[in-house]
Order: sequence, then C-alpha cells, then structure tokens
Amino acid sequence: MEIAVIGNSEFILGFRLAGIRKTYAAENEAKLTEYINGVLGDNEVGILVLNNSDMNRIPGRLRTQLENSVKPTVIAIGGEEGGLSMRERIKRSVGVDLWK
Amino acid sequence: MALRDVKPTRSELIGLKRRIALSERGYKILKMKRDGLILEFFKVLADAKDSRGELLQKYQRAVESMALANTVEGAIGVKSAAFSVKEVPQITLTSKNIMGVVVPKIESSKVRKSLVDRGYGILGTTSIIDETATSFEELVEAIIESAEIETTMKRLLSEIESTKRRVNALEFKVIPELSEARDFIKMRLDEMEREELFRLKKIKARMKA
Repeated sequence: MEIAVIGNSEFILGFRLAGIRKTYAAENEAKLTEYINGVLGDNEVGILVLNNSDMNRIPGRLRTQLENSVKPTVIAIGGEEGGLSMRERIKRSVGVDLWK
Repeated sequence: MALRDVKPTRSELIGLKRRIALSERGYKILKMKRDGLILEFFKVLADAKDSRGELLQKYQRAVESMALANTVEGAIGVKSAAFSVKEVPQITLTSKNIMGVVVPKIESSKVRKSLVDRGYGILGTTSIIDETATSFEELVEAIIESAEIETTMKRLLSEIESTKRRVNALEFKVIPELSEARDFIKMRLDEMEREELFRLKKIKARMKA
C-alpha cells in the first residue's frame, strides 16, 4: 500500500522528494474535496496526509468521515490543530486533563 | 417512563423486573468495557505524546530545509529533483480490534533511501536537495508511526465517550426509572389487595348483622 498526500503544491513537493507518488495538488476547496473522495475510494492508499489548514476547510461531514476512517488512516500535520484538539478530547472523554 | 403510563398489573410487574435485571447486567458489562478501554487508552497515551512532539519537530525541520532548497536551487530545480524520485515507500495496513474498536496497524518498509536510489542526478543537484529529501523521509517515517497511534487514540477516545454516556444513562436514568415504576406497581398491587380484604370483611360483617 502507499501513502497519499493532498495539499497545496508547496506542501506536496517535499513528499514527492521522499518518494511518494500519490500527491495531489489541490488549490481550491472543490478540488480538495474531489481529491479526498478519490483517495478514499482508492484501495491502494493506506495513509492519507493532509495539512491541518486544509483539514479545517473541508465540509464537516467529510471531516467526520476522515476522522473515523481506518482504511485509509488519515493524519493532519502542520499548523494549528483544527476542531477539538487531542487535549480537549481527552478532557471530555476521560474527565481528567492527562495531556502533559 | 412516566408513572402515569404504568399499568399496575402483575404481568407488567414481571416484565419490569425482567427489564431491570437486563439493564443491570448491561450496566455491569458496559462499566467493565469502559474501564478496559481506559486502561488501553493509558497504554497508548505515553506513545502518543512522544510521537506528536516528534512529528511536529520533524515537520518544522522539513519545511525549513524545503525553504532553503527552494532558495538555493530555485523552485524548478527542486521540482525536477522531486519528480525524478522513483522509489515509493510501501506500507502494510492491517486492522486490529481492541474491545470492539477497530484500529489500524501499520508497518512500513524502505522509506529511507540512499543517495543513489533517489533517482535524481547527484552531479546536477546540491547537497541541500539531499538534506531536504532526508528530512522529508524522516518526516514520512514519523507520520507512519504517529498515524497508527493517533488514530488509535481518537477511536479509543470516542468509544470511551459513548460507552461512558451509555453507562451513565443506564445508571442515572434507565435503572432508576424502571425501579420507580416497579415500586409503584408493587405499592398499587398491595393497596388493591388491602382494599379487597377490607371489602370482604365489610361484606362479612354486613351478612352477620
């Protein structure tokens, strides 16, 4: 299986340098959604890497779908963490602030 | 269940008792599940903290070296190097089940490559490109590692939350309401029995007189 990266052209360039072939340059929101849907339907993709700022831009329903997806596993990096941060999630679920 | 909807009959009482027993059993099992999930969560927590920090650090380093490479080589130079890389990092993704929560398990192979394997000409590019490629390879490794851990964390957390909700709903809402209804029916049945007895006594006394 492979890794897929979706983001602006600057974001994906480095990943291409690391050898990742499935990089998609999405410059606007419509393209972003289109590529994400494409990757979700691709059986060969194991991990989907997104930029955090892009993650915040996509529609809520798709975001929930991404967050709950195991195949492919979705991870957002860089910038501010969108939505509920891990810390808040832990606070809400366990009731105690265990992060740090 | 509002009390006025409860019919004070014996069959209703039996049904209610059955439902209470079932709810209590479910409550116990769910409570155990919640505790188990929290234990699993603690196991992942330490790893997650480390991996997130590492990922952030590596990302920053990668972005920095990318910017440097862009300045030295120019955007075209970096792009041409990037598009000639041929080796694709391969991963194997399987899923694992932790108490009904499906979490990914990822193994990777050959993310890091030697200079020769990268595909772009060594003579035509500067060492900055190599450094950038190395830092991005490291970043990809970190991503693969934390993708597994983070998704596991997220799924465990949401499962813990919903289980906790269920446990609390059973403990503070469902079981108390059912017990209240049961007590009401019991009281009502007893009351009806006493009325009946009193009526019989009254009739008996009237017949004697």
